[in-house]
Amino acid sequence: MTADRVVHSVTCLGCGCGCDDLTVKVRGGRIAEVSPPCPLAQRWFGDGTVPGDIRVDGRSATIEQAIAAAVDVLAAGGTPLVVMAPEITTEAQRVAIAVADTLGAELDGCTSDTAAAGIAVAQRRGRAAATLGELKNRAEAVLFWAVDPRDRYPRYLERYAAAETSTHVRRRSLLSVSIGADHGPKDAKLHAQFTPGDEVDALAVMTATVRGRKFDGLPQPLQPAVGLAERLLEATYVAIVHDAEAPREARDAQRTEGLIGLAQALNGPGRAALSSLRAGGNRSGAEAALTWQTGHPLRVSFAGGSPRAGAPASGLGRLRSGAVGPVLVAGSAIALGDSLIPLEKVPTVVIGPGASATKGARVAIDTGIAGIHERGTGYRMDDVPLPLTPVLDGPRSAAGTLGLLLAALRSRPPGRTR
Amino acid sequence: MSASRLRIVGGAVHDPANGVDGEERDVCIEDGRIVASLPDGAPTLDARGMVVMPGGVDIHAHFASSSCNHARRLIPDEHAADPAPAPDLIEGTPRSGSGGTVPSTFTTGYRYAGLGYTTAFDAAVAPLLARHSHAELDDTPCVDGGIFVLLGNDEYLLRQIELGEHDRARDYVAWMLGATGGYAVKIVNPGGIEAWKTGGRNVAALDDPVSGRTVTPRAILETLATAADQLGLPHPVHIHCNNLGVAGNAATTLASMETLAGRRAHFTHLQFHCYGGEPGREWTSAASRVIEYVNAHAETSADVGQVMFGPAMTITADAPVEYLLHKSSGRRWTNIDIELESGCGIVPLAYKEKAAVSALQWVVGLELFLLSRDPWRVVLSTDHPNGGSFLSYPALIQLLMDRTVRDDRLKQLNQKFLAGSALADGLDRQYTLNEIAIVTRAGPARLLGLRAKGHLGPGADADVTVYVRDPDIAKMFATPRYVVKGGSLVVEEGQLRRAPAGSRLRLAPGYDDAVLRDLRKHFQAYSTVSFDNYPVRDLPGEPVP
Repeated sequence: MTADRVVHSVTCLGCGCGCDDLTVKVRGGRIAEVSPPCPLAQRWFGDGTVPGDIRVDGRSATIEQAIAAAVDVLAAGGTPLVVMAPEITTEAQRVAIAVADTLGAELDGCTSDTAAAGIAVAQRRGRAAATLGELKNRAEAVLFWAVDPRDRYPRYLERYAAAETSTHVRRRSLLSVSIGADHGPKDAKLHAQFTPGDEVDALAVMTATVRGRKFDGLPQPLQPAVGLAERLLEATYVAIVHDAEAPREARDAQRTEGLIGLAQALNGPGRAALSSLRAGGNRSGAEAALTWQTGHPLRVSFAGGSPRAGAPASGLGRLRSGAVGPVLVAGSAIALGDSLIPLEKVPTVVIGPGASATKGARVAIDTGIAGIHERGTGYRMDDVPLPLTPVLDGPRSAAGTLGLLLAALRSRPPGRTR
Repeated sequence: MSASRLRIVGGAVHDPANGVDGEERDVCIEDGRIVASLPDGAPTLDARGMVVMPGGVDIHAHFASSSCNHARRLIPDEHAADPAPAPDLIEGTPRSGSGGTVPSTFTTGYRYAGLGYTTAFDAAVAPLLARHSHAELDDTPCVDGGIFVLLGNDEYLLRQIELGEHDRARDYVAWMLGATGGYAVKIVNPGGIEAWKTGGRNVAALDDPVSGRTVTPRAILETLATAADQLGLPHPVHIHCNNLGVAGNAATTLASMETLAGRRAHFTHLQFHCYGGEPGREWTSAASRVIEYVNAHAETSADVGQVMFGPAMTITADAPVEYLLHKSSGRRWTNIDIELESGCGIVPLAYKEKAAVSALQWVVGLELFLLSRDPWRVVLSTDHPNGGSFLSYPALIQLLMDRTVRDDRLKQLNQKFLAGSALADGLDRQYTLNEIAIVTRAGPARLLGLRAKGHLGPGADADVTVYVRDPDIAKMFATPRYVVKGGSLVVEEGQLRRAPAGSRLRLAPGYDDAVLRDLRKHFQAYSTVSFDNYPVRDLPGEPVP
């Protein structure tokens, strides 16, 4: 069956890879085929159907009624919490931040705790990094630290770290470290294994070796670290790849600290970049917009009249405990992926894809999904912004709807907004 | 007051582009433009006893880029120490933010307006990340803005130079400006970033081969300067020379200028490129030698890049320089290599009066200003935030206008490297208000080819700043009484009251379409962004003709 429409150079936000070379075929108003094949792209696009409802207290409503109800909910008292959930464009995220600013709200993104810990380390130390094309074009040695990207970032190797065409790389070596049960690629040329308890020490030994230190009498479990570091020193340009979204464990922040230190040290004798694998849904876009509008990449509070970082507990954490005022979820509440969030216990407004399927929302306004129904910008895991080309018509846009909410909040009587 | 008409009455007008030097006259505004006259009864603004100038034009700053965003993440402490509550606006949505050396976007726009600046360019944007810069500019109100696009270390250009394909290089430059919404070509350390990324650390001289190629920094300069001239770009190539910040680098700077003799060229943050002495041994000022060359060559222009004492944030595509700064200072360091195009290095820094090199840098910058014979071609910048924040412009203006303040400050500095410098020997020049109007408005606008900016003649954009005279020059320039942006009164009685969106200043030069086929092949082989997705589309406004 021929397609009704074929759209080329489509960007996928199914993971942080941000592949923008997809071809999407549409038949009968639904997505029929996405190529090249990728399980995450398949899941991201699905058949493209989304609900298009507007609901207030579970009943159908007009957009005017819903916006008015949303204003009432958010201004009812207590410090609101705005959650920037996944699946919306950066244009929509920018408006969501403006809403939070106007409300004097607390604002939280959808950055995982593990990724947030890594970002905090990079804020403290800086980092040596690169856009993904530098890995493709320059990385002679790629060290995978406790991750095989094929599991959660299916095309990362093919498009970036092990790409076949390259401006500078004639021969590339893939190296692998496994930490406990977290394995690197099995087909790597050189493989080392450390226990979780030895991981930080192994990174310290590698960094010291890179800086020229010699070790005598190193404990046997750490000895592979020396050989690994020496192997990295043979390359002009090294890429170190780790999963910045790995399930949270106590060692994660220390792992990131160690990896940042190692990548920076490798810039003495040669060149190196740390590549942090990040999830999709335009999470990186939320962090970018939050940074340029507030100065801070993660959760902030506008309650004091200007953005303040460093809230002791995440907004989502407090939401789980029910210790928040009214809530606005901008984006897909479903994609937050946390069934422990009891939205029915707090007055909640959801504006985003699949909002009407969110249990317990007082106001729910369905929107399209970024890059499937909505034009705009999405960010790759390396902070490269990409255009999002819609392949289907969808319900109202998230940015436009949040803009209506912002305008309604601004038009309230003086004293009820800043 | 946001009427479409406004008469600014009776101020001492400094409009050097139109030969007006402090004469009392009215400035008339209608529909966002300066007009020759208005009917009786038009709304008025009383500026009697005050000083009236065109809105300020910042020719070189870093405030709207992915690099700036990386820098913002490094300074949560500065943001916490400098909260920026939302202003009390009459119109529009007021936004809070944070300050420090790299403020958040809305705060940047508000603070520029609060200084009387109404136009600003981000001077270093990697083409791949232009989409990000435009988004930041969208969120930077009150100033018309644009971006300079980084070329000169990009793989495609280097290949064309090696092949001798100069026409194709020119067409590529034109395509790139249009694709990125850029306004000018920025060259940073030509060839040096590519050398850094290939492990070669840097290039040291204009004829060094770049990473084993046949291309040299000199060839890069010549190719891009020629392309800019052939395309008739309003602003010539904007050059950050090789060897920034290195003792003895004046020789490289002069060699770069001589390479382009007879061709238009703008040399940016010249202060960082005017050192004598030898690396690792001693530093001296070579400002006199370099500015003598600039004075004698009408086709050459510069902005100074003055260092101001206090906190700064060094942000540059010149990544090898930032690596050395990190190693020598031990400070935090971020490096981002940008595929096929450029680099990015960031190190927070502070310039201290008692630090010998900082003191020399301060002196070198002032010498460039004070020894310049043509303020139209040597204009004001601090390379914000590299040499200091744009918020320090009023203090810099005071140093230029008030010798007593300048000499008192000089006495407090570390004198180690200052012996024999022209400033230490005594320079008594004091800038006039008209000269300040030139180096902060009229001159930058002319160098940028902005015909509707930097002056108050009929047809100009209605960007006007009104200052209250004050013996404290820094205070006078830090707190304008009124600022008009595009006809909108954004600052009233010293308070920000409106924050209109700025216009986007960008180009779209023509080119031979044949370059597209070759570029598409290049993208398919080496880029990680599809060729069709690379251009930034849906930008506001129309390209500057």
